Amino acid sequence: MSTAYPLPTNLSTTTVTNTASLLRIVALGLISAAAIASRLFAVINFESIIHEFDPWFNYRATRVLASQGFYEFWNWFDPTAWYPLGRVVGGTVYPGLMATSGVIYNFLHAFHLPVDIRNICVLLAPGFSALTAWATYMFTKEMKDESAGLLAAAFIGIVPGYISRSVAGSYDNEAIAIFLLMFTFYCWIKALKTGSALFGTLAAVFYFYMVAAWGGYAFITNMIPVHALTLMLMGRFSSRLYVAYCSWYAIGTLSSMQVPFVGFQPVRTSEHMGALGVFGLLQIVAFAQLARSHLSSKQFQNLLTVSVVAMGVVGTFGFIALTYMGWIAPWTGRFYSLWDTGYAKKYIPIIASVSEHQPTAWPSFFMDLQLLIFLFPAGVILCFRELRDEHVFVIIYSVVASYFAGVMVRLMLTLTPVVCVSSAVAFSSLIDTYLDPTQPEGEEESEADSSNGTNTAATPSKKEKAKKPAASTSALNDIVTAATSQSSSKSKSKGIWGLDTRLIVIVNAIGMLSFFVFHCTWVTANAYSSPSVVLASTNPDGSQHIIDDFREAYYWLRQNTPQDAVVMSWWDYGYQIAGMADRPTLVDNNTWNNSKSHIATVGKAMSSSEEVAYPILRKHDVDYVLVIFGGLLGYSGDDINKFLWMVRIAQGVWPDEIQEPNYFTPQGEYRVDDRASSAMKNSLMYKMSYYRFAELFGGNNAMDRVRQQTMPKVGPTLDYLDEAFTSENWIVRIYQVRKEDLLGRDLKSANAFAQGKKKKKSKPVSRRKAIPV
Amino acid sequence: MLQCWRALTLFLLVSAASVFAASSLSFENSAIVRTVDLGGSLVHVTTTFAAKALEPKASAYTITLPEDEIQRTSWLEVKIKGQQQPLTVKYGGAPADGKFYNLDVQLPNPVEVDSTVNIVLETIQTHATYPWPERAAQQDEQSLKYNTTLFVLSPYKTNVQRTKVKSPSPEVRSYTTPKDVDAFTLESPVTKSGATITYGPYNNLPVSATNEWVTKNQQLIGIHYKYDYPVLELTQVKRVAEISHWGANLNIQDDIVLYNAGPELKGHFSRLEHQTQSFYKRAAAHVIPALSLHLPAGIHDVYYYDLVGNVSTSRLRAAPSVPKNSRSNQYSVMELRPRYPLLGGWNYTFTLGWDSPLADSASYDASTGKYIVQVPIMTDVPGSVVNECEVKIILPEGATDVEHVLPFPAVSTEESTHITYLDTLGRPVITFKYKNLTTKHAKPIYVSYKVPSSAHLRKPVAVATALLGLFVFGMFARRVDLTLHKKTA
Amino acid sequence: MKWSAFLPLFLLPAAFAATKDKDAVREQLIDLAAKGNGLIKLDSKTFDLLTLPSRDWSASIQFTALDRRRRCAPCKEFDPSWNAVAKAWSTAPKEHRDTHFFGTLDFDEGQTVFQKLGLASAPLVYVYPAAEGPRQLPNGKTAPSKYDFSNGFEAEPLANHLSSHTPIPIPYRAPIDWARWATFISGILSLVLTLRFISPILQSRWTWAAITVLTSLTMTGGFMFTRIRGTPYTGPDGSWIAGGYQNQYGQEVQVVALIYGTLSFAFLMLTVIVPYQSSASRQRMQVYLWSAVIMLIYSVLVTIFRLKNRGYPFKLLL
Repeated sequence: MSTAYPLPTNLSTTTVTNTASLLRIVALGLISAAAIASRLFAVINFESIIHEFDPWFNYRATRVLASQGFYEFWNWFDPTAWYPLGRVVGGTVYPGLMATSGVIYNFLHAFHLPVDIRNICVLLAPGFSALTAWATYMFTKEMKDESAGLLAAAFIGIVPGYISRSVAGSYDNEAIAIFLLMFTFYCWIKALKTGSALFGTLAAVFYFYMVAAWGGYAFITNMIPVHALTLMLMGRFSSRLYVAYCSWYAIGTLSSMQVPFVGFQPVRTSEHMGALGVFGLLQIVAFAQLARSHLSSKQFQNLLTVSVVAMGVVGTFGFIALTYMGWIAPWTGRFYSLWDTGYAKKYIPIIASVSEHQPTAWPSFFMDLQLLIFLFPAGVILCFRELRDEHVFVIIYSVVASYFAGVMVRLMLTLTPVVCVSSAVAFSSLIDTYLDPTQPEGEEESEADSSNGTNTAATPSKKEKAKKPAASTSALNDIVTAATSQSSSKSKSKGIWGLDTRLIVIVNAIGMLSFFVFHCTWVTANAYSSPSVVLASTNPDGSQHIIDDFREAYYWLRQNTPQDAVVMSWWDYGYQIAGMADRPTLVDNNTWNNSKSHIATVGKAMSSSEEVAYPILRKHDVDYVLVIFGGLLGYSGDDINKFLWMVRIAQGVWPDEIQEPNYFTPQGEYRVDDRASSAMKNSLMYKMSYYRFAELFGGNNAMDRVRQQTMPKVGPTLDYLDEAFTSENWIVRIYQVRKEDLLGRDLKSANAFAQGKKKKKSKPVSRRKAIPV
Repeated sequence: MLQCWRALTLFLLVSAASVFAASSLSFENSAIVRTVDLGGSLVHVTTTFAAKALEPKASAYTITLPEDEIQRTSWLEVKIKGQQQPLTVKYGGAPADGKFYNLDVQLPNPVEVDSTVNIVLETIQTHATYPWPERAAQQDEQSLKYNTTLFVLSPYKTNVQRTKVKSPSPEVRSYTTPKDVDAFTLESPVTKSGATITYGPYNNLPVSATNEWVTKNQQLIGIHYKYDYPVLELTQVKRVAEISHWGANLNIQDDIVLYNAGPELKGHFSRLEHQTQSFYKRAAAHVIPALSLHLPAGIHDVYYYDLVGNVSTSRLRAAPSVPKNSRSNQYSVMELRPRYPLLGGWNYTFTLGWDSPLADSASYDASTGKYIVQVPIMTDVPGSVVNECEVKIILPEGATDVEHVLPFPAVSTEESTHITYLDTLGRPVITFKYKNLTTKHAKPIYVSYKVPSSAHLRKPVAVATALLGLFVFGMFARRVDLTLHKKTA
Repeated sequence: MKWSAFLPLFLLPAAFAATKDKDAVREQLIDLAAKGNGLIKLDSKTFDLLTLPSRDWSASIQFTALDRRRRCAPCKEFDPSWNAVAKAWSTAPKEHRDTHFFGTLDFDEGQTVFQKLGLASAPLVYVYPAAEGPRQLPNGKTAPSKYDFSNGFEAEPLANHLSSHTPIPIPYRAPIDWARWATFISGILSLVLTLRFISPILQSRWTWAAITVLTSLTMTGGFMFTRIRGTPYTGPDGSWIAGGYQNQYGQEVQVVALIYGTLSFAFLMLTVIVPYQSSASRQRMQVYLWSAVIMLIYSVLVTIFRLKNRGYPFKLLL
């Protein structure tokens, strides 16, 4: 036989395999290093700090866990959240994340490594991303082979779609969830292939961990049953399937019910009913199989039909009945909004208002997955080519996940692993084909295959090709005819002639891969590595300038206000205030409980006039009100831009007091300058944002750099609030709520009186110059 | 009373054991001049006694201070005018039911009859001034009040005494005019010229350190003056100095609670006002926008953070490291801005730390085989007082026979152990506590200890064994086969 | 439409209706409402009648521009549900029905009114509360309140909202969509029937492969975004690609999906088909061909992406 390029002949098979495994280990090590390193941009550019909003709560909870131990954490009642309700943290949180870092913390300290808990929290996500790479490797290995596995590991190690949720400092449930997801799936596949109860149990254990860690566990809860169901429909029921599924479901469900936050949901809510149903169906089918082995086919047919139909009917009706009797809760809003996409906006504006619940436009797909996004269908096709049970899993996963990712940006995260896997399959089979040195010659296919057998280490996939069922080849045959107009000769000597052909494809492939690396680095560095708590701008001389207003204001609150001062802000900032300023907050990011009315109250206070808002503030003993204002700096994520959501949410509860249209100009524009509607101008939010803003510009007219609108010369005045603190770039503004006037006057007139007195005493401060910022 | 004792032990210099016999006849003061340099949180008081000996071989002179002054004095020193060497002072105890205390000064050489010796008493008072009015709005100016007694007491007769009060700015809002002092002076009892207010001269004072005289004549005087600099107060400073021989590194870290002791902010803070003021370069006197600290030379890796993370607004001008005990007064300048400008009555806490090469501050004494390390008690924040200071010195693991020398006695000293990175036994720690420290107290503590070379090796050995054990375990675990029934593949 | 013939008939009295007392006006309105089965087709004069300052009835009025020239798609979209609600109200018991009226004012019939109210956009729904009489609002508010389209053009929420202004809730019942049911059932039946014929196709994996790939291609092409946001197929200026990173038109879905499809198809060819070629020359030719295709299409894709994301620094061949 001829080879395209000379091969060393004096290598024993053991040498080859050992070298291969050593190389694999080294490669995995390097991949992990790359995965961790590429997530450290935030730490290097800024500092080791917790990012964004939710992580601040996780961090706070973890500190409690680390300092006071697990039981204290378990029974922790946090009086500062949702003032005055408070929050039973132990029962309303997925403890997996905190428990993980707590364990790591205690482990390190047991070895006298006094690592700060903050650093553990910050670096948890990168660390787990390395594990994810490994899990993906194992998973893909089951799909194709080691080489594909390594590719997949490399992909998921650096793909932005995953980095976006796992940079150092984004200490959120997803940080560990994706590893658990992939490893659970790996265990499931392994269990399915080997039919071992051990792996089934492992899958259950990791499923439990996942349940404890992330609300997204429902994805596994439905993914695995769907897979099992499809296999049954394809007539692929086997004892392996039975063992794997039953061991997973039984143990997994029971253990998942141990998480207080989940409790009895696995038997009470619709999200989990699919798994139960498939479990039942499996029993029926297994019973049918058993019966078949004992009965003659005639009786069997009757028995089977009767029993299956009967049980099926009973099951369905039972389910429906239970749902109507209210024993089984229907789909919860968040899940339901995945199917009826208009649902959230109409009925749960709080969910709809979150930016990461918006649908995904194609650029973000490309941004997050780049070349994987179009390799992915090819991989799916290849999975169809040799349709083993695990391939069915990948196929289903790809369909479901791509739908979800389309509906919600944040679910891109669940799509990413399968994309990495299947595109790795596609890519590695391409490379396999073109690295394989054997040249086809005439009819000797068998020899070619055996020769493939020799250099197994390089291309083990050939073996599978060799024992590929005839069906797929014939099927393949008809794509051949479909694809290339000419009908290929029946002589299946497959392979590539010549070196140049190999070269061009390989070079092309390598080029694309390196482009991918550049892309990922750029996206990670520019899009996903800023901890939204600290903003960075560049000085004229190009050096980096840190804008630290949030921490400035929070720290001021922490140092110079009474310990029990209640701070009201829009719910986005609740966790940060609790974490950094250590003060009670009215509402925070924990919106899962239908504290809708509570949030709506804040929304109403913000969007209604001072006179209306003041009683609300006093009733909730609010001492300070905090607003985010970007107008001076051009920081677009400020409260005025979020204002409409406050209005909408308030309108949902008080439709006759707050109406969204009143906040637009008659022409339906959203303006803040002198053409703004009166409701807008009188709203507390508007007043607090622009209080004394115009004066900053002295004579020249004040410019809101976010809305790009010039503000009126005379700014709004406040009668019921005092400006207490404003951060350096005016991003955070804190106002103190006045106590009732001692003389019993309403504060407006009292204020007017005081103003009059002051005017007589001292001439009003006049003509300021603009301060360059 | 105990409280008073502790306060007192602070500023007694190393006291000789010798006992004096002070009699009211041994001296007479031909002149007493007291100069009070008013400041923010620190007030320098210098009193010069021109003492004329009345009897031969008079070598013990007694200085009397009223109680409240003792309470607020954080440092004192007695010298013969024109000499460097401070004299030994002994706390002579209070006369029965006296409101004042005696300090017995041991003169270096006995004074002949009728010859005069000039004794200079220099003290620094803390918490002696208070803002008046107590609350000031953002653009108001700040003025302080200082109270003291009119007469300098003395157990001897005094021919003439006067008190000069120097205000930092000529704008003295008000000062008390002492009443019925005609017995001692003929012209006006107080005169003001520029920023200086002079009480006296008062002539022919009898022995004044007696209760009846005090109750009869002594009276309080107060000065109300404008002060143009913020009144700084470091409520608490916790210093941790960690010595690492492996890293040849001395790490010093201060946890500081900063407090603006000026008049409390009236009303609210307006960023607009603040930016306007700083734009027109007329920032209010009682606002602390930034601090500039003098850190030792040759430091590196300076970090400045607080409870919510790194503070990016600081600049360091590091000076190159200088050889030990060379008298060059080089230092690195650290300019740090708090997250927010510190207005009257506001707090700010932060942590400041740095590394410095151990060689700069440590030396090895071959003869005794001991290392000697010097650790400064505090970093001087100019014009500020440190209410409570805790210095914790962490010696390398396995350090033995630890000794230390203090520049002045601590309130309390305790020893403990501290376990950190990969320690097996933990490191010896000495902790000193101080109160009311001022610029004068920024002196080094000397610690000497032995470290056997075995102690040096302990850590690497421990780590190596741990890893080795891991690998060995891995080696075996890899090769053990636990499958129940072998597959015949 | 026949009823424009009536127009002159009642315009005549309408002319000096202002002088007449409001009972007459109400009679006339009732009459009109009856004609337009529940809905009064307004012009500037009848509008003044309906919104008489001394009215003791309430009215909800739709301002729209249904004329084709106005090119107001939402107007057409909203009109049916408006008519449905008005019709539903006409079935309310008489004593209630005559205290609340539904009117529609088309831009082309009441430009003066549009100018007077300073309306720049359509459709709009104003509810005029009663200015006098028993049904006057407790707070004595007579200014019209505006209906908020934030939850869509459907009739259901509209009816719910208006019911708070009518004396009794509007007896609106969503019509049963017979057509849908019919298609659904017939679909089921036809499926069952054809099942036995097409079962071989259903059992061929490649059918499913096609379905799967097409689904994931459309999804990753951003189909759901256009569905949920209801973005148009192309821009108003006929541009097929929307500016901005977080936005896209319907046509982009097709283009992008097509590009993705082509690329992965090329990969498949290289991986699956090419090795089975029997002649070296043809194989070589194909290898070069498909590699070229990949490079080319990929560069096109990157270029398009650069259009969407201005800051993107990389580019390929073009």
